[in-house]
Amino acid sequence: MSLKKTSLYAATTVAALSVALTACGGSSSSGSSGGAWDKDATVNIGSLYEPQNLDNTAGGGQGVTEALNGNVYEGLFKLTDDGDVEKLLAENYKVSDDGLTYTFTLRDGVRFHSGKKLTSADVKYSLEKVLADDSQSARKSNLKVVKHIATPDAKTVKVTLSQKSISFVYNLSYVWIINSEAKNLKTTEDGTGPYTLAKWTRGSALSLDRFADYWGDAAANKKVVFHYYKNATALNNALMTNAVDVVTGEQSPDALDQFKNNQNYKVNDGDSTTKLLLAFNDKAKPFNNVKVRQAVSAAIDDKKLLHSVWGDYGRLIGSMVPPTDPWYEDLTDVNAYNVKKAKRLLAEAGYRDGFAFTLDTPNYDPHPTAATFIKSELAKVGITVKINTITSDQWYTKVYQNHDFTATLQEHVNDRDLVWYGNPDFYWGYDDKHVTAWIKQAEEASTTAQQTALLKKANRKTAEDAASDWLYLYPQIVVASSKLSGYPLNGLNAQFYAYDIKKKG
Amino acid sequence: MTPTDLLARPAEPATGRRSRRRSATLVLGCVLTGLVALLAVVSFLWLPYSPDDTSGGRLAGPGDGHLLGTDKLGRDLLTQLMTGARIAFGAGLGSVSVAALVGVTLGVLAAFAQGWLDDTLSAFLDILIAFPTLLLAMLVVAARSATLGSAVLAIGLAQSAVVARLVRILVKRVLTQDYITAARTSGTSWPRTVAGHVLPNIWPTLVVNLALQFGLAVLAEASLSYLGLGAPPPNASWGRLLQEAQATFTTAPAGALAPGILLVLLVIGVNLIADGLRDVLDPAGRGRRT
Repeated sequence: MSLKKTSLYAATTVAALSVALTACGGSSSSGSSGGAWDKDATVNIGSLYEPQNLDNTAGGGQGVTEALNGNVYEGLFKLTDDGDVEKLLAENYKVSDDGLTYTFTLRDGVRFHSGKKLTSADVKYSLEKVLADDSQSARKSNLKVVKHIATPDAKTVKVTLSQKSISFVYNLSYVWIINSEAKNLKTTEDGTGPYTLAKWTRGSALSLDRFADYWGDAAANKKVVFHYYKNATALNNALMTNAVDVVTGEQSPDALDQFKNNQNYKVNDGDSTTKLLLAFNDKAKPFNNVKVRQAVSAAIDDKKLLHSVWGDYGRLIGSMVPPTDPWYEDLTDVNAYNVKKAKRLLAEAGYRDGFAFTLDTPNYDPHPTAATFIKSELAKVGITVKINTITSDQWYTKVYQNHDFTATLQEHVNDRDLVWYGNPDFYWGYDDKHVTAWIKQAEEASTTAQQTALLKKANRKTAEDAASDWLYLYPQIVVASSKLSGYPLNGLNAQFYAYDIKKKG
Repeated sequence: MTPTDLLARPAEPATGRRSRRRSATLVLGCVLTGLVALLAVVSFLWLPYSPDDTSGGRLAGPGDGHLLGTDKLGRDLLTQLMTGARIAFGAGLGSVSVAALVGVTLGVLAAFAQGWLDDTLSAFLDILIAFPTLLLAMLVVAARSATLGSAVLAIGLAQSAVVARLVRILVKRVLTQDYITAARTSGTSWPRTVAGHVLPNIWPTLVVNLALQFGLAVLAEASLSYLGLGAPPPNASWGRLLQEAQATFTTAPAGALAPGILLVLLVIGVNLIADGLRDVLDPAGRGRRT
C-alpha cells in the first residue's frame, strides 16, 4: 500500500521534472540563439512587496515569500511554478499503511549558510516553529494535524499525525527548514537555499548572493537584487529605464503597451492563483438565502468587470479553484450572467422590489472600481448597494475576525484555498454539511484521485450555491527584459524562484 | 466716524494702476472659480449621462458621444467631472464653515484668556497646527468611517487651529484700541463689544484667510480621496478620478489631465480671489502674508 503510494508520487515527480526540463530546454535554447548567458550576472527584480520582516512565521507578508522562499530557505518539499509538489530537502519519504506516520529521510551533504550540517533536529525545530502559539504562519491551521515529531537519527524525521492528511506533504512545502540555532530571524537568515542574504536596505532593496557550498546545482546568476517600489508606475518606469530586469507581477494592463511593442521586453501572460471575491455573509440576511446569492451572481457581468480592470488579460473561473489546482474545473456556466434569471430568482426569494445592502470595500485597487461596477449592475435588478470604504486593518477586524458584515470584496491569493468552504467558522460562514464532509474526507483520502474527485464535488456544490461570487481570476503578468530567461511565470502564492534566471551579457 | 473706521480703512486712496491690477486679480479669480462653480451648478440640472451608466467602451477616447471620453468602467468622464465639482465645492465650503465656527470661537476665547490659560490655549493651538492636516484627517476618517462628512469634519478641524491662532492675534490687537476702552467704559457688555466692535474689525483679514483655507480644503479632500479615504465610490471625487487614472495615464491621458486641470483652476481661482480680496478689504496689509 505504502509502496504503491510512493511510486505514484514518484511518477508525478518524474512527470513534473520532465515538464520542468522541457521548459528549461526551451528557454536555454532561446537564450543561446542570441548569445551566451553570463554565469556571474546580477539580476535586478522589481517588486511592490517589500517584506515586513524576514520571518515567515512572524507576519513577514507576501514579500518575504517572494524574496526568500526557495531562494534562501528551502522546505522538505517544493511547489513548482506549475503547481506540482517535488522533493527538495527530503530525499525520500514513506507513509505508513494507516496514513498517519510519515518517515522522511533527509538529503545528504546539505549545509546551512552558517556552515552547520542539516540534521533532523533542525527539521523538528522548524516544524515546531510554524506550530508554535505565537506563530503567524498562514499554514499553521493546516498543519495542526501534526501530533508528534520524532528524530530517531540525524537523517530521519518521523511525524505522526492525529488524522489522515493527504495535503500534508504539500503543506510541508511552506515550512522553511531553519537552523535550530539561528537567532534574529526577523532581520537575518540561516537557510539552506542557493542564495544567502547579502544586504537588506529597508524601504528600498534586498540583495542575495549565490551560496558557494549549495548542495544542489548552483544558481545561474551570481547576485539577485529585489528592488521595492511604492507604486506600479514607478515600478514600470524602473523597468523602462533598465533599473530592473524583470517585474514580478504587473498590476494593470494599461502600462503594458510600452513593453508589448518593444523588442527589448517580453510580456508573459500566466495564471495566478488570486481570485477577486464578492464574499457574502452566508449566515446573515438576505444572503443566507441561496436564491438571493444566485441572483446577485447572475446579475453581475463578470466578463465586463474583468475587461474593465484587466483589459484582455485574466480569465473567469466561476469558482474558488484556479487552473493550477489539481481539482480545477471550468464552472463559468454555473450562475452565469443572466439578468432575467436574476430578476426571477429575486422574485422567488421574496425580493420582487429588490433590497439594499452595505458592501464593505477595501480602499485599495481594484476594490473601489469593482464596487462601483457592482453597484451599477445590481441597480438594474432593483438592488441598492451602499459602498462602505474601509482600510485593510478595518477589514481584518470587522469582517475577518468579527464577521460583522453583509457582503464584502476581497482578493484571495492562495492556491488550494477551496477548503475554507469546509469550515463553517470562516468569515463568510458558508455551512453546507455535504461540502464540509467532502472536504474533510478529501483531506483524509488515500489517493490523490480520490481527493481530487471529492474536491471537485465540493467545488461544484459551492458554485451552485453561489457561496460567494467569484468575480474573476487575476492574470499573472511578468514583464522582463528580453535578455532574461528562466524566470517563473505563474508566481504561485507569490513565490519567485530566481536561481534559474539566466541573463545574457 | 464710527470706531470701526479707525482701524481698517484705507489711510490714502490707492493709485490707479494698483487698483486696476488688484481688481484684475479678483476678476480673474472669480472667473476661474465661477467656471468650476458653473460645472457644479449645471450638474444638478443636467448631466450628459447618468453617473452610474457604464455603457461606454473601456477608456474610449474623446468624441463619439463622450466629449472627454470614458473611464475603465465605461462611464462618461465629463459626467464624473461635473459631479466631482459638487464634491469639491461641498468639501471646500463645509470645511471652511467648520474651521470658521470652531476657529473663531476658540480664537476669541484664547484672546480673552489670561495667564496660564492663555499659554495653554496657544500651546495647544501651536501643537495642532504643527500636526499635519492630512494625518489628522486620516485619523478622524479611521475613527469614523470614510465618508465625505468625515473628511469635511477632519479637514475643518485641522484648519480651525490655523483660524483660531489668527483670530487670537487679531482680537488681541483690537482689544488694545481706544474705542474698545470707550465702549467698555460706556457700559457695553463683553459679548456686545465682541459682536459690535471686535468681529467687524477682524473680518477682512479673516475672510481672506478663509478663502485661502477653502483652496487648501479642496486639495486636502482630493488627497484623502486619492488615498481612498474621502468620499466613498461611486462618488466621483477628483482625487479618486486622479488615482484611478494614474495607471492608465499613458493610454488615456484625459482621465488624469481633466480632473487635475480642474483642481488647479479651482485652487488658483480661490487663491486669486483671496489675494484680490485682501487688497480690496485690507489695503494696509498689502504685501503682508497671512
